[in-house]
Amino acid sequence: MANKDNMINLDSDFGIDSRYKTKREREQDSIALMHARLERLKNLPKQQILRAKLMQLKLKMEDFLHSTINDNQAHFTQFLEFYVDTLYSKRSDFTRDLNITAVSLSQVINKHREPKEEFLFKLLFHSEMVFKDVCKFDNRIWLEVYFRDKINQKLSLQSEWKEKWDKQVRFSELPV
Amino acid sequence: MMNVVEVSTSKIYPIEVLPVESEDYKLLSKTRYFFNWEEEKTQETYKLVIKGQDDILGLISLERIPSEWRIHIRLLCVSLENRGERKIYENIAGNLIAFVSKIAVIEFGEFACVSLRPKSSIAPHYITKYNMNVTGVTLSLEVPEILDLINRYEHGE
Repeated sequence: MANKDNMINLDSDFGIDSRYKTKREREQDSIALMHARLERLKNLPKQQILRAKLMQLKLKMEDFLHSTINDNQAHFTQFLEFYVDTLYSKRSDFTRDLNITAVSLSQVINKHREPKEEFLFKLLFHSEMVFKDVCKFDNRIWLEVYFRDKINQKLSLQSEWKEKWDKQVRFSELPV
Repeated sequence: MMNVVEVSTSKIYPIEVLPVESEDYKLLSKTRYFFNWEEEKTQETYKLVIKGQDDILGLISLERIPSEWRIHIRLLCVSLENRGERKIYENIAGNLIAFVSKIAVIEFGEFACVSLRPKSSIAPHYITKYNMNVTGVTLSLEVPEILDLINRYEHGE
């Protein structure tokens, strides 16, 4: 036992068994921990809440890009909406900062029109400033999400375009 | 990009944390990985490997508790040769905890929490090294410390 304790002190990272042994132990832990956390949350500065939400957004975008999700959903606009509403209480303030019209933002968020290239680039520069003090952030991730959506949308309609174009294409043997 | 550092050379290796697959359990001996990982077969369990390699350097199993905006670490270990003064790679446990922290932030945002209950003899190490909060015998990472930890290991400590 003494040897084991020495080993623990040498390198405490080697292993932890943290499993709850009884239901009672787990319940007591849940109550005490939640109570302590709520107290800490009460005093959490707004700046840290904002930081957490932006980190959450970044990780969600990365998660989407690494996933094999092939749905037909507009992830770009979902992320954009979260970004704008996290940073601004009024969307008009965001449009003023980007020097774009409120109508154009609304149309993009509501999927009534595609974002213009100008909008995408302004968003890249804006997010670069926003994330500077939050976490490492490659602003090109917006473009990656946008084009991943495009690919997913195209692939989800594969049955339509495949039928149309497939018949018009053939492969002739290459001349030897 | 998360990574581990080879202690003898200070060389940095990018890592990835992947779900443990059923065939992995054959290799997870108690001698090398400290626990009987077969017991965790029904749990959410991940392995840490150097990118492009198969050798498992560390393992973690967890329980998501959405009603409490919390992820509880059940088991965590680094492989035998990566313990103590003669360890080959540094930062294995930290990367595993950072990985779980990322899941918690994705799921719960500003309410994110990662908890664990180490033995009292090693608790001070976790409190100091990972800046954890203490509630009874339970240690936890919350905002802002959880964000700092993610940043620390994202940048490769």
